[in-house]
Amino acid sequence: MTVTHPTMTETEALIVPDARAARHRHRRYLYRDGKIAYWLLLPAVVLLAIFVIWPAIYAAYLSFHDWSFYKAPEFVGWRNYANVLTDPLFWAAIGRGFVFVAMTVPPMLLLAFGFSSLVVAVSRHFASTLKVSIYLPTIISTVITSIIFVVIYDYSGGLLNAFLGLFGIDPVAWLGDPKWALLAIAIPAIWLGMGLTSLIMVAAMIDIPTEYYEAAAMEGANWWQKTFFITIPQMKNIILYLLVTGFVAAIQQLDLPLVMTQGGPLDSTTLPNLFIFNHFTNDVNVGYSIAAALLLFVVLGTVSALIFRFVNSERLVD
Amino acid sequence: MAVVAQEVAAIRRRPQRTTSWWLYAIGKTIVGVVFIVASLFPLLWLVIAGFKSKTEVISTPFQFFPEVWKWENYAQILGDPTFLLTMGWTFLGAVLFTALALTVNSLAAYAFARLDFRFKRTLWTVVITTMFIPGMTILLTSFIVVTDLGMLDSLAVLVIPGAATAAMIFFIRQFYLSIPSSLEEAAMLDGCGRLRIFFFLFLPLSKPPFVVMGITAFLAYWNSYVWPILTITSPERFVVQQFLATFRTGRGSSELGLLMAGSVLAAAPEIILFLIFQRQIIGNIKMAGLK
Repeated sequence: MTVTHPTMTETEALIVPDARAARHRHRRYLYRDGKIAYWLLLPAVVLLAIFVIWPAIYAAYLSFHDWSFYKAPEFVGWRNYANVLTDPLFWAAIGRGFVFVAMTVPPMLLLAFGFSSLVVAVSRHFASTLKVSIYLPTIISTVITSIIFVVIYDYSGGLLNAFLGLFGIDPVAWLGDPKWALLAIAIPAIWLGMGLTSLIMVAAMIDIPTEYYEAAAMEGANWWQKTFFITIPQMKNIILYLLVTGFVAAIQQLDLPLVMTQGGPLDSTTLPNLFIFNHFTNDVNVGYSIAAALLLFVVLGTVSALIFRFVNSERLVD
Repeated sequence: MAVVAQEVAAIRRRPQRTTSWWLYAIGKTIVGVVFIVASLFPLLWLVIAGFKSKTEVISTPFQFFPEVWKWENYAQILGDPTFLLTMGWTFLGAVLFTALALTVNSLAAYAFARLDFRFKRTLWTVVITTMFIPGMTILLTSFIVVTDLGMLDSLAVLVIPGAATAAMIFFIRQFYLSIPSSLEEAAMLDGCGRLRIFFFLFLPLSKPPFVVMGITAFLAYWNSYVWPILTITSPERFVVQQFLATFRTGRGSSELGLLMAGSVLAAAPEIILFLIFQRQIIGNIKMAGLK
């Protein structure tokens, strides 16, 4: 029934050369689905408004207040932010976050690159087996992962120490030693994150035109040359994308240290999110925790918004 | 002539099976097997440990396989009424969450993809912006909101707050944008309204994004831990991850075999779901990964 509208509007506009009325009609045509559209959007928008947008505004409001569950908010200006920024523990957590990123993201990208080079080189059947098995860990929860790795890392009866013992290496308290604990959490993080990273890389690698490799082979290029002069330059964008999303994901890691070590020993696994989470649950001064969360995530939110723009523009070109 | 050309092509296509070709092939297979083993080993370890007795999971001297395969672990954990109840509630919650999320988000996605309405761009910008608000920033204020709404310690607090997500709206919208508008125009000429078009044209076509998004939502619910530990306090309403974590800190050290068996059972629905839909999930990874 709405289909008849355009023709009607056009003819009427021709007959009555009233520009204003025409524009009005045009508008009506343009927004012809208004009513039904709002009904369709209502549930999603209401849920987002109540559970995302309002909490975000409220968080911004509370970050300028001294408040706890027991008393009325009192405006304190930038004091919470100043407290966070002058807190050495906050900076230590951020620094630890960067160390954790360095431990997880580069190895994960290298492994994923090796994996996808392998996938494109083997038969289709083997390739799909590879893809399924690399993706399987991704669906396992961090709690179950933590349980598995805590048992593997056990000091006196764990698999890892028993294995190293075969080579005459003394047992290490992987999760009990501040020197090793962060690395011990990085391994399961890589295990969980490999699936998605690898498969995105495989998809990108398959997209590279085979003509490039054929031409290079004619010139006598070997595998290394093909990798460095064709594969990596062609995948520059996707590697950059994975690097940044890997960074954002790793620095926000919360569940693994929360379940495996609760941030210990000696705070050696208190990553930024866990630092904030511990403040939420222990500290009566809520403003501080919220200010810390906002500070950290204004930055990360900006980073993800930039990635999104980048990805979205690429997809539009596709 | 053509036959000769075909033969030449066939010869060209056939790889030269020299020694180096074989070495290369064997090398690739070995590296592939190493990847598969490294990737599946922790899961295999979980399954093996699920069959061990109390003291065997962590024992000196170390033993890879259990002395006796203890199927009783499974019987015992399944005999625990709290565990069964927890699994049941978590499953129900995950199904409800998935259904709600798909409904709410696909309706919005359809409106954003196909309908013309005032403030469309503004609303779209607002919705997309919510994608960049990290969970941690709003964790506490969301907690305050659900407390004020009286939702604490109920199934609703797990199912409702996370149902609408910009990422899912974005993903489904992207799919709807790719459906040719001529289909829709034909339906409109036949006198279909917008709602009929959505239910009888778009919904039947939505299987690919619904499978991917549905599984993502199901797994997100099944694996969630931090939000439940904040909002669910009664042990009989715990979600399965909460149950496992509490079991570990409570009884875990003395009942590790049981904990491992429970973890296997808790991971099983996810693994089964994944194995059924792996083709669609892996096929869609490029799109889903970019959310």
